[in-house]
Amino acid sequence: MFLYKRIKVAAFMFSAAVLASCTAGGDNQGTEYAPNMYHSLPYEPLSQITDESAGLWATSNESGVGEYYNSNPNNPHRMTMREPAPNTVSRNSLGFLPYDKVKGDIAWAEENLKNPLPASEEVISNGKELYDRFCQHCHGASGQGDGAVGKVLKGVPSYSKGRVKEVNEGHIFHVITSGYGRMGAHGSQLSQEERWEIVRYVQTLQNQ
Amino acid sequence: MSLKNSFAGYALALVLTCATLLSAGTTVFAQADQIPTDEQAISNGKALFEDNCTVCHSVHERVVGPALKQVIEENRSLPWIISFVQNSQKVIQSGDKDAVALYNEFNKTEMPSFAFSPEQITSIVAYIKHETENPPVKEVAEVPEGGTGPAVSGGTGVSSEYLTILLVVLLVVLVLILIVLALIVSVLTGYLKKDQQLEEADREIVESKFDLQKLLTNKAFLGFVVFAFTAIVLKTVIDGLFMVGIQQNYQPKQPIAFSHKIHAGQMEIDCNYCHTGVRKSKSANIPSANICMNCHTEIKKDSPEIQKIYAALENDQPIEWVRIHNLPDLAYFNHSQHVKVGEVECQTCHGPIETMDVVYQYADLTMGWCINCHRETELNTEGNDYYTKLVQLHNEHSKEPMKVVDIGGLECAKCHY
Repeated sequence: MFLYKRIKVAAFMFSAAVLASCTAGGDNQGTEYAPNMYHSLPYEPLSQITDESAGLWATSNESGVGEYYNSNPNNPHRMTMREPAPNTVSRNSLGFLPYDKVKGDIAWAEENLKNPLPASEEVISNGKELYDRFCQHCHGASGQGDGAVGKVLKGVPSYSKGRVKEVNEGHIFHVITSGYGRMGAHGSQLSQEERWEIVRYVQTLQNQ
Repeated sequence: MSLKNSFAGYALALVLTCATLLSAGTTVFAQADQIPTDEQAISNGKALFEDNCTVCHSVHERVVGPALKQVIEENRSLPWIISFVQNSQKVIQSGDKDAVALYNEFNKTEMPSFAFSPEQITSIVAYIKHETENPPVKEVAEVPEGGTGPAVSGGTGVSSEYLTILLVVLLVVLVLILIVLALIVSVLTGYLKKDQQLEEADREIVESKFDLQKLLTNKAFLGFVVFAFTAIVLKTVIDGLFMVGIQQNYQPKQPIAFSHKIHAGQMEIDCNYCHTGVRKSKSANIPSANICMNCHTEIKKDSPEIQKIYAALENDQPIEWVRIHNLPDLAYFNHSQHVKVGEVECQTCHGPIETMDVVYQYADLTMGWCINCHRETELNTEGNDYYTKLVQLHNEHSKEPMKVVDIGGLECAKCHY
């Protein structure tokens, strides 16, 4: 009887210790409740499990791979996210053709590109908001090239002085899209409409 | 004789003075060709340099073009500098050996032509010379080595560290007091034992001994111990059960030691710059390597961690970051809805991300946590006509400001469908 009591106490303590280890921290993800709900069967672009045996114990499908395995073996590096199909083009409601597909260098852009957006207050304030998020850390809050990253990167010009003061909207748009000198291409981060909004705001900084 | 002598002396002096004046004159003319050192020229040159040259040049470091202190160190002639600045291509095409060597050294990067007057260029050179001779004192606050630091334990700030130290100090003080008290007791009992005139009751107390056996068999004491033990174990079990499925403080090691503390904290890069989807889509997006390259084509190129990005780009192989925040499929969450429409700060859910070297899950992401926020958060309906009537109706019935719960923030089907 005494032994039985002891075993009960020991079991109780053991379960307490096991449960305490459920807590996540460091590399330990913690115990998952209903793990099938945390690892989706369909491909998910932001979580990819390449280990075929992952979740084998919980598996419900008959393909022989684990429940959590969700990589596409037909793609390079088993990627689930793919680039758009070749020779296809996305167009938005404004009917912009993707600028990246327009073959042209900076001289061509200076001569031919015109901003489709008006210099209205709304466009400029949208441009400022985008500028503060995407440009400010290099070019500085007032476009003087004195952002925190700009000081490390070096070679960031002031918008309102020298040669850069004179560049036109096509030039600015092309530089945002494809980069120039030490500046990288930002076409993948900003839609064309957003880039044109930034152009409007940068022009106000040129003339400050 | 003496007169004659003195005359000759005067004549000699005159000739010498003339000669000195003449030679002084030629040096003055010669220096006009050279680099001026007056403050006016230097400050003019500084302004011109900062407005036009800093895009590609620095005085002391090689940036896009060469470090311009070379111009002084290699003693280039002013006419050469002037013609190169005015039209570098012309100088290169004329077959000038130095110019061609420079052109090739910098991968045939063309320097744009600048329509400056020779005086302006001379003043720029004056500034460069001044800077070369007076190099700036190196800044102490260098950017620290990126992301190599060990993981910061989740949620422990400075204040809690102080608290721990304080507790330890208190504990030490208490133990010391205990020891002192025990010493006093033993000294006093020793003294009292010698006292012959002690009353019987007092003597009993003085000569009583601590009986462990008695205490262990004391039912009240045992009952208390069992109760305390059960209560502690029960609490641990219940806490453990509540933590199942909660991944708060999960802080996995990532394939690249990327530090949000450096990028979002020190460098003040907006979250949206890399997490491009946060205002546009359901997920905030992990940046692809090309976004890293916007800066790291130039910054910290030799770091082994940055080399990993280069390798990923070369092999066209995505970097496999470890996902930290993961909601079960039964719950729907949309970033743009919260960040763009709801104007929720990233830090509200992700915690002090700009201070994290290694990111950990800050919030517990439980349903109770979601619901709580939906109950407490007031709506900003300013400038949104869609809500005008709803706000009016709401204000007729309630004195509280309109909150997320009032527009269906607790409806099951908002998140579960």
